Amino acid sequence: MGKRQSQRCRIGIDVGGTFTDFVLAEMESGALTRFKEASVPSDPSRSVENGLPVLVERAGVRPDDVELIVHGTTLLVNAIIQRRGAKVALVVSKGNRGILEIARANLAHTQDFTLRKEEPLVPRDLIFETSARTLTDGTVIDRPAEGETAAIAGRIRDTGIEAVSVQLLNSYLHPEMESEVAEELRDHLDGIPVTESAYIWPELGEFERALISIMNAYVQPIMESYLDGLTQRIRKVGIDAPIYITASNGGTVGIETARQRPIDTVLSGPASGVVAAMRVAAVSKHTDIITVDMGGTSCDVSVVQGGEPSFTTQSHVGDLPLNLPVLDVSAIGAGGGSIVWVDPQGVLKIGPQSAGADPGPVCYGRGGNQPTITDCYLLIGYIHPDHFLGGRMQLDSVAAQTALEEVAERAAIDGENRAVKAAAAALSVATAIMAAELQKGVARRGEDPSDFTLMAFGGAGPTHANLLVEEAGLTSFIVPPASSTFCALGAILADVKRDYVRSQHILLDECDAAENALLEIFGGIQEEAAAWIKQEGDLLGQPQFTATLEMRYAGQAFDLQVPLPDELRTHPQPAAITELFHRIHERQYGFRDLDSATEVMTERLRVTGRITPVTLSGVEKRAAPEPATTRRVFNDGSFLLAPVFLRRDLGEGATIAGPAIVEQEDSTTWILPGWSARVDQIGNMLVAANGKVG
Amino acid sequence: MKLGSALLEIMSKKVSAVADEMALTLKRTSRSTFVKEAGDFGVGVADLNGRIFAWPSDSTVSGVSSIFYPIEGLVDAISDLEPGDVIGTNDAYTSQGLATHLSDYHLVRPIFHDDRIVAYGWCFCHFCDVGGRVPGSVSPTNLEIFQEGLRVPPIKLVRRGALNEDFITIFTANSRTPDLNMGDFKALLAALRTGEQKVERLIARHGVETFMACQEELQAYSEAKARDVLRALPDGVYEFWDYVDDDMVTRIPFRIRLKVTIRDGTVHIDLTGTDPQVPGSLNYPSMGQLRSGFTRRLVTFICTGDKTIPFNAGIFRPFSVTNPPGHVLHAEYPDAISSRVDTTRRLNDVMNGILLKAVPDRMAAPAGGASVTLVLSEHDPRGGQQIVNVLQSMRGGMGAFRGNDGVDARDVSYVNMKNQRLETIEGQSGVIIRDYDVHADSGGPGQWRGGVGQMMTVEARRDGSTLIIQGMDRIRFPGWGVFGGRPAAPFRIVLNKGRPEEKELSRLDRLDLNAGDTVTIMMPGGSGYGDPFERDPEAVMDDLRLGFVTRAGAKRDFGVVATNKGLNRQATEKFRTTRVRQNVRAEFDFGSEREAWERVFDDATLLELNRQLMTLPRSQRFDKRHWIFEQVVPDMPAAGMGRVAAAIGDPDEARARLADAMAKVFGNSTESPAHSR
Repeated sequence: MGKRQSQRCRIGIDVGGTFTDFVLAEMESGALTRFKEASVPSDPSRSVENGLPVLVERAGVRPDDVELIVHGTTLLVNAIIQRRGAKVALVVSKGNRGILEIARANLAHTQDFTLRKEEPLVPRDLIFETSARTLTDGTVIDRPAEGETAAIAGRIRDTGIEAVSVQLLNSYLHPEMESEVAEELRDHLDGIPVTESAYIWPELGEFERALISIMNAYVQPIMESYLDGLTQRIRKVGIDAPIYITASNGGTVGIETARQRPIDTVLSGPASGVVAAMRVAAVSKHTDIITVDMGGTSCDVSVVQGGEPSFTTQSHVGDLPLNLPVLDVSAIGAGGGSIVWVDPQGVLKIGPQSAGADPGPVCYGRGGNQPTITDCYLLIGYIHPDHFLGGRMQLDSVAAQTALEEVAERAAIDGENRAVKAAAAALSVATAIMAAELQKGVARRGEDPSDFTLMAFGGAGPTHANLLVEEAGLTSFIVPPASSTFCALGAILADVKRDYVRSQHILLDECDAAENALLEIFGGIQEEAAAWIKQEGDLLGQPQFTATLEMRYAGQAFDLQVPLPDELRTHPQPAAITELFHRIHERQYGFRDLDSATEVMTERLRVTGRITPVTLSGVEKRAAPEPATTRRVFNDGSFLLAPVFLRRDLGEGATIAGPAIVEQEDSTTWILPGWSARVDQIGNMLVAANGKVG
Repeated sequence: MKLGSALLEIMSKKVSAVADEMALTLKRTSRSTFVKEAGDFGVGVADLNGRIFAWPSDSTVSGVSSIFYPIEGLVDAISDLEPGDVIGTNDAYTSQGLATHLSDYHLVRPIFHDDRIVAYGWCFCHFCDVGGRVPGSVSPTNLEIFQEGLRVPPIKLVRRGALNEDFITIFTANSRTPDLNMGDFKALLAALRTGEQKVERLIARHGVETFMACQEELQAYSEAKARDVLRALPDGVYEFWDYVDDDMVTRIPFRIRLKVTIRDGTVHIDLTGTDPQVPGSLNYPSMGQLRSGFTRRLVTFICTGDKTIPFNAGIFRPFSVTNPPGHVLHAEYPDAISSRVDTTRRLNDVMNGILLKAVPDRMAAPAGGASVTLVLSEHDPRGGQQIVNVLQSMRGGMGAFRGNDGVDARDVSYVNMKNQRLETIEGQSGVIIRDYDVHADSGGPGQWRGGVGQMMTVEARRDGSTLIIQGMDRIRFPGWGVFGGRPAAPFRIVLNKGRPEEKELSRLDRLDLNAGDTVTIMMPGGSGYGDPFERDPEAVMDDLRLGFVTRAGAKRDFGVVATNKGLNRQATEKFRTTRVRQNVRAEFDFGSEREAWERVFDDATLLELNRQLMTLPRSQRFDKRHWIFEQVVPDMPAAGMGRVAAAIGDPDEARARLADAMAKVFGNSTESPAHSR
């Protein structure tokens, strides 16, 4: 490494099950360096130690040039799904021991006699009751008797518990009793962490709030030991930069917050991909996009509108509900590994079983004997047996052909090329399923899919994008330059973010009281949030706040989201807020109900600490690419000869007319006849139907 | 297959996505709890014969899982359909039973393409209140349809896109919740518009011929799949019956009896032996036809056996019915019908029994058999006005099946709605929830244990509160055990439990409470499967540790002796071997109450009694039946309030009283019951 000027840079790291992805961004030039290192599932931060020196070396920077590391991991979500977390005890109000058995009393399916319910994170014998009981209005109707809490602590200690969560009814409004019990438990349980539900997430709903605080306790030991190891290894490489962890809300948090509130990071994986897609699309002036991350086992979809991602408070971690605000990412239909099969009635089916990465598709030659979507891509000619994963993996076309012959036989597809015809038929089914799900996802928000551009990433996203876009009635899609390291890129493009909630019931017609209540609530949270941002590090600018109220007409059983403009957050005027609500209700339901009182049920605040944005570097202008080769592709019933371009040959301004194939190291893009691609200044390839402006 | 193996699957997914989008529109634009929370609505697209071929894919979107809606009942009633029309009804008696009580409005919009109808968009939802005797319009003690709300026979609600304003005026004037109703009415119309738009999109993409062809092909495909699953049922004739505790007007139980004939994957259901119509609103308006209320368990059996079957009316093609007039599953004008669900819930258990007889290894034992909604009416302490809130909907447990215990404290066998959070309840009503937990020892004992039910204790904090309770059952006759399994615990409702003034209650409609009163509801568990003394003692110890059984229950029900140190293997083995084996019923254990009842009212006698009753004019049937039962069991206790055996006394004398009473009513020509048929 020669002597040169300091090059400030940031590193994003995403540890997945198979690969650990690294992206290094140089702040001045915007140049990106990407690197993939095999993950070590038995020791998840080892790949970070292995990969970082190589990345830094490749980028030609020094370890002390690194000003920020942002890291994402799927460790926690997997720990919850596989029930590998800590042994947690739960303390509840008397009479509420059934909280996890009853849950919300519903199940994921109805038409199945053999159905089972989820395994609770805390078995009922580790749920302890306390007499402490507070009502909605704050009245304490019962307190723990002398020695009662000590006795609970004794029983907890005897059972070898690693963490305790306390969840008392109505603590979301009146946390005092919960704190009191927790404090006494701490006194008796030297060193065992005790979590208070209202401290983690003070929202109405005893089951959901308990679950959030239990999950937090459940994964905390794993997160702490992981972060210890990670920090140590990063320091060993000579990097002294602050470390941030990606969060489920599309932001990041400092390492100390991640230790205390690991629950905030559980669903960060798919969220980072959406953040990257959103930012990269925004550079290309696309603010209304549907992100499609199609990998081996699943296809994740999210809607970005007006440059803002969509959020939900109704997500899941495996089979457990999670009511924290997270980026709204939903899984639709098929991934590359989804199995193609024929039912006894001769009808062609896709999934839901997946061959995953292991044994994987038939063409991987790893023992998979059921044909998959990837085998169909191969037979049709979208992907080439010698060029998969940049040529690192040879695919077996003959085996794929044999497997799809059998599908053709069972589905009564005959004639010449029947295996290829079966592959095309299978893809048409997969595409129809994905398109239908995508349309539903957009319809759920009351929008029309044709107003959106699709952003395709993940190994199979670019391959399937054009088929999907055409079927779903969209007119364009974008393929970013290196889509498989997208989550790592998203990590360094994200701001620091945290969400706060209160569930205080406020009647807006009681004007003065309402104004004071809102002032107090938002004043309180804002102070807390500002203090938090301050301790999250020096890189962050002034905190920004966005407030939302969940409101209803009195007596209604559901809420509408009312985003609060800054002036109403700082000077809440009940009349103006009521008017905002009327307007939103009118837009949704066509009328306003002037006879009903309006109520605020939930108050939300998000704080954002912006980090200086990374400017993504441009690509060279190179307008007239030459195809590297041609390939036979089965399209619309017959083979055609499509030119094959290499992505690295495409510079700014390059245009390609379909039919065509664009190969890059981590994916292949198929462009249909009648569609054309154009590469923009940062290397995004925009593909649109001829005659449509994308 | 005309469409080919791929296109059929594509159309299957796409038509179901049309229904999904209709459901999303309805749910998004509705304002009522019934739609938004409980999912008490349905949407679909029907072919020109009124058969649904498109149904939402996500069974959790709508709480309604039966799709055999006779849409032709509405379409046939109106002949001059034009583009932009919407027709609708809430009246069973004039719509061939499309609507099954007045709370449900069914709407249909013809979908036109090139000037001809290519399909019908359909939807319904449960409206909060449609008038009638009680708030919410549903009560088991309504005595005729006119007490249940405004009847709207099939009419045009929208004509060429223009809303029938006269209808709206009448509709809103006849409800206690006109605003919520209007919101839901508009949501239904919006869902139908969505359906039409999405069908147009589908036709634009695939052509009208494909769209028309797929309607029949998809149903034929589902029929083939359904029959493939049903062929697992051995050919034969199966009979089974079960009881509803009483009809809420008298204390006499009534019986649902099915004779099912299975032949090569077809199922014929004969309802002939079922008891006559009842005076309250537990009658089901099947209008003499095959209706989805009869086939729910069969449909679930099919969907369990083939998880990829497209949900459409083709699933019903293997089914047929014999459904003569007069019995409780064939309501006749002007019978009250609002609580018909409680009756079909019992019918489900009967069908469950039939499936268990046919395929013992592939069928689960029945679920708890009751599903209770608690509504609290109280006076606002500030303004004094009446406030009415749904307090909670409560569930039993689910049935065990070979190799697995039943699901504890949840039951989706009829509805799959979420419960109310306790913090919501306490925030909006003047009550304290003292207890909301699993009901220990309520699961039917078995080698595989039935799921335990829920329990809840509510304490009223204001004088003059009224609790309205819907769906109570299984107080008198508990859920029956299967293949050695013992009956589950019965439903119980107790006032002021654990206090000196504690009082066990029976089935009731409403209960007045004062501040400090508590009501404890204990839901029945699901049924057990196999001999409980064969249950792995370690599994019983787990249940004990987790509180699903008590220590006393472990010994009594499972023969497992537990001490403070854990399992006493020796004592357990000894206890288990000394049990009297006669207690174990080979197939079904119906429990002592039902056994006592049937010692007098055996199957043959009841069949004969019903046969004779059906010869009487409808107007006399109920009174004569009531009189006969009064003669036999003059002191019949209310359900759960006393033992049937004690009330009956000597069974032989009771049988003599019965023969006497029947002779008095029907004349001496009565054949001896034993030799009837």
